[in-house]
Amino acid sequence: MIQRLINTTKRVLGHTSQGRHFEVFDDDTFIVSFPKSGNTWTRFLIANLLHPEEPANFGNIDRLIPESEELTKNQLARVPRPRIMKSHEYFDARFRKVIYIVRDPRDVAVSQFHFFRKRRRIADDYSIEQFVTRFVAGETCDYSSWGGNVASWLVTRQNSPNFLLLRYEDMAARTAAELTRVASFLGLGVTPELVAQAVERSSADQMRKLEGANATATVTKNSRQDVPFVRTAKAGGWRTGLPESAVQRLETAWGPLMVYLGYELMFPEKVATSDLPVPETLLNGSSR
Amino acid sequence: MIRHLLAGMKHALGLHRPGQKLPVRPDDVLLASYPKSGNTWTRFLIANLIHPDREVGLGNLHQLVLDPEVSVKRDFDRAPRPRFIKSHNSFDPRYRRVIYVVRDPRDVALSQYHDLRTLRQVHNEFPMETLIGQFLVGELNRDPGSWGDSVGSWLAARSGHPGFLLLRHEDMLADPARELTRVAEFAGLPATLARILQAVERSSANASARSSWQNDLPDPQVARIEAAWGDIMACLGYELVTRDSRAALKSSLIGLLAGSGFLSQRVMIR
Repeated sequence: MIQRLINTTKRVLGHTSQGRHFEVFDDDTFIVSFPKSGNTWTRFLIANLLHPEEPANFGNIDRLIPESEELTKNQLARVPRPRIMKSHEYFDARFRKVIYIVRDPRDVAVSQFHFFRKRRRIADDYSIEQFVTRFVAGETCDYSSWGGNVASWLVTRQNSPNFLLLRYEDMAARTAAELTRVASFLGLGVTPELVAQAVERSSADQMRKLEGANATATVTKNSRQDVPFVRTAKAGGWRTGLPESAVQRLETAWGPLMVYLGYELMFPEKVATSDLPVPETLLNGSSR
Repeated sequence: MIRHLLAGMKHALGLHRPGQKLPVRPDDVLLASYPKSGNTWTRFLIANLIHPDREVGLGNLHQLVLDPEVSVKRDFDRAPRPRFIKSHNSFDPRYRRVIYVVRDPRDVALSQYHDLRTLRQVHNEFPMETLIGQFLVGELNRDPGSWGDSVGSWLAARSGHPGFLLLRHEDMLADPARELTRVAEFAGLPATLARILQAVERSSANASARSSWQNDLPDPQVARIEAAWGDIMACLGYELVTRDSRAALKSSLIGLLAGSGFLSQRVMIR
């Protein structure tokens, strides 16, 4: 009862986070992705591009590029506009300008599995097969499943000039070029030197150092310090970290979407993508 | 301050509207659609099917098929399970069982245009061209966004999912008993033919009028809508007249996703 009273008072005074239901402005820009898809790294890259005078670290990143649903109502109101914020939300029509980062779901699953161990959200003997089953069902977080999150954004916004799709794998392979695309999307005039400096300041090595120096930061607090937040930061780790049965489960669930995004399947024969009977049957079938 | 106090008291008594913060139960059935797509008629059909002993009208509809923006928390607590909940919002993963009613966007646009003029929110000579521009970018309905936002996000995330039932408004008009039977089977409701027919009969006054974009929507406006959403429309079997349906679907993501999901779902039903 007292707790409820405290919560109500906090809400009335604007001291609580509003989750998905915060006020969105037309000039907001969101860095959106399913969790564990390189969002933090992208935040570091963009923060280092926007604020060369203040290198990003785990202590200041929440101020430089805040996470919309973590902030209280009052904190959100104080973020200077135009705001650039981080989000994991599935499609939200109110978001006008969106940078969407997508990552191979096989790597995302492995990454989230280790992240959950770090956060002690799953027991140490919880198997990755069990985890992948829940992952496919969209039960591992509140942001829909990987496929639901990605597809809801792509189908609705893909052709919009205010939507920029980044693949984590491309960012890893040619970081400076991808960051330059981000800069032009944001309308920032940047020099190659500035981009190079941002890339350097956001490298996996650098971020590991920063994580070590700032163990109490939001992204890492209350978690096991022996499992790092910045893990391998590589693409394709699923090839060794994921059993075949789990790979097959992921590809069965999202094969067509993965192929569309250029992620090569290990079991292409299990997914009917080449001989899609899309138009004919569907069109004839529905004109009864 | 007094406003806050009043809000607090309403909260305590369960008289507040939960809105989007409504806690979702696993057996809830969401009845989702874009505005002007036949949602109200579908609610009447469902309410009449569940409550043959009650007279369903606009006065009590929000207690029988709940609306988080209108019904109060007490209505939600008292409603029989499974609860039926109405929504015009885009994709919401919290709901595991979703009935989505879709309608040809060319008719939706026309219907919104008529409504806005009838309600005098725009003057009678308001240019159709301007309205279609607003319709396409979702300015007429800010929360769900555009027709393509709502339909596209739901189809993208849920087509082919066993907990997703897609109804076309046009099919409901053509054969309401057949479509209501599909709803009943999906939601596990009593579905004897007599009860279905009775529900259809009792809801008939609330069936939306047929509008016909073929006669009333100028070609250039048809072309704009088909240019924006031709791929989604073709997926749903809405024939395009200003571009080739096959070409619209080719290499489109929704075609790819719906091809593996939505299609198989419909084939299973047949």
